[in-house]
Amino acid sequence: MAANESAPRSHAGTGVTPLSGVGSAVWYDPNADLELGEPPAAEAVDPDAERERFEDARDRARAELERERERTAERVGEDEAAVFDAHKQFVDDPQIIDGVEAAVDDGLPAEHAVDAAFEDPIAQFEGMDGRMAERADDLRDVRDRLLRLLTDADRVDLASLSTGSILLAERLTPSDTAQLDPERVAGFATIEGGRTSHAAIFARSLGIPAVVGVGDDLESIDDGTDVLVDGEDGTVIADPTPDQRERAAGGRDVEIREEPVATADGRAVEVAANVGTLAELEGAVAQGADGIGLFRTEFLFLDREAPPDEDEQFEVYREALAAFPEGRVVVRTLDVGGDKPIPYLETPDADNPFLGQRGIRRSLGPDADLFETQLRALLRAAAAESGTLSVMFPMVATVPELEAALETVADVAADLESEGIEHERPELGAMIETPGAAFIAEELAERVDFLSIGTNDLTQYVMAAARENERVADLRDPCEPAVLRAIERTVAAADAGDAWVGMCGEMAGDSDLAPLLVGLGLDELSMSAVTIPEVKAAIADLETDAAEALANRATDAATRTTVYEHVNTTTDQ
Amino acid sequence: MERTVTVVPEDGLHARPAAKFVETATEFDADVRVAPADGDDPVDAASMLAVTSLGVASGEDVRLIAEGDDAEAALDDLEELLATPETESAAESSSGT
Repeated sequence: MAANESAPRSHAGTGVTPLSGVGSAVWYDPNADLELGEPPAAEAVDPDAERERFEDARDRARAELERERERTAERVGEDEAAVFDAHKQFVDDPQIIDGVEAAVDDGLPAEHAVDAAFEDPIAQFEGMDGRMAERADDLRDVRDRLLRLLTDADRVDLASLSTGSILLAERLTPSDTAQLDPERVAGFATIEGGRTSHAAIFARSLGIPAVVGVGDDLESIDDGTDVLVDGEDGTVIADPTPDQRERAAGGRDVEIREEPVATADGRAVEVAANVGTLAELEGAVAQGADGIGLFRTEFLFLDREAPPDEDEQFEVYREALAAFPEGRVVVRTLDVGGDKPIPYLETPDADNPFLGQRGIRRSLGPDADLFETQLRALLRAAAAESGTLSVMFPMVATVPELEAALETVADVAADLESEGIEHERPELGAMIETPGAAFIAEELAERVDFLSIGTNDLTQYVMAAARENERVADLRDPCEPAVLRAIERTVAAADAGDAWVGMCGEMAGDSDLAPLLVGLGLDELSMSAVTIPEVKAAIADLETDAAEALANRATDAATRTTVYEHVNTTTDQ
Repeated sequence: MERTVTVVPEDGLHARPAAKFVETATEFDADVRVAPADGDDPVDAASMLAVTSLGVASGEDVRLIAEGDDAEAALDDLEELLATPETESAAESSSGT
């Protein structure tokens, strides 16, 4: 090492994503502006005015929490979003409110009263372990939000960090992590926190390199230092050597290929991205996606008072197509009805909404008008841009459902025709997410241009193992022979029906499984953008014969363990 | 009125189940209190702080005590909530594939 180079310093923590990133350190101290100082003399405080300020801060806190909840539900999931419901309850907690009001009556301004009212509860939870200690984090988060609103303190805008920042912090609260933009944050490291912390869950879900629980050592890294965060090894290295950078990048930062790939012997496989918002399109392009294999349209409908109209939707679909002028964009029609509440849609309580009226079942029932509007926008967009627009229907279980959906498309096309509005019939497809659909895949394939296998739902329904239930998590594995056979069936049916067949569940983004999936005969794999380069690299290395032999062994296997043995043997060769 | 209910959600009275519990308890015209079945004084079911500080885990019994016009309806709803596994009532759907 050259003498003028500073020595790299390495700090160990818990890696929470198998990704690494290098960037410039930015320390984040959310409380820098929240020093309250000494309260004024009690006589100078008007308790009524202070109560009003407190009420006002609570109103604004609730509104902020509502927005963050929606944003988190969209980007990460309902489970993580629920933490903001708990925060709202703390904002309205009678015990807290009583405490604040008593302190205000004693002559404290609202911000000092809030600080005082949270002190005991936080201390009480802090002393406990596990999830009770997490409640202390939640309480601090709520307290700081109220203090910030009361003192007009600026919030550090994590969403607008410079591109290539490595965020360093003591800990990241749910409110902090909800703001992180994976396009800008090259990674983060925290002094506290474990694998199950909010920060860790967000990092995994957003594909951000992250190491948590590094300890006080982290403080030795100054702002602006070059930092490497290796989420695979769980290390944070200040001033990394070129060697270290390369090693960290090795095997993960695979070459990004903008061109479509084929196996070594020439079989083309389309590698596409799953996206949920327009903002994610850019990431998909940057990672070398050939197109979009799953465009979730729910984000268009969430977090608003009324459904988007036809023109608004048309613009969104057009923009998605414009991002892939030579590719294909597969749009999934509205899939709601589980438990995600949409204020203007009536969603009756059901014992198990996931086996209830959701997806196409709603589109053909209570949401028929929305469905028609969405299809009008889609057919218009198909004619407006050069790429291929494909539309697929979620949760199909019967032939009549599919036929009714196809008929609606035909009706909408006829309407547009008679109105003289430019439109085009998109490619049409059915999602294979239910065992029912897998069993009648032949009949479905005969009626559409393509099938798309949603392995997350298919797995939970084939294995009767709910997605959020940790007690049956081990059953929820797409490499279970029962699931593989449902996939095998679907591919064979697509071939017989002259339809192409893709996969858009998480399984498709696992590069270790790429040989198995190519061997099974999938034409397209769609995944989170971050895994595209690896999957493309894995496909380029494959020989189709070997992949098919692996698929045969895997689908013949009696147990998941045997399937993984076959997969690993192939990968190791 | 009063009844004893076994807490089914895996998280016990924490996180989302607790938030739902408090939300439900405040929907009715009734004063609702809750206590672990094997002792301790009941706390205000409208207080997230009080409810989570009980530290009730999945499988434990709690006593629900309600007074007021809607007492029975409140107890019915809270009982149903506590008897429903979180996975059935809360799992995410619309990002599903």
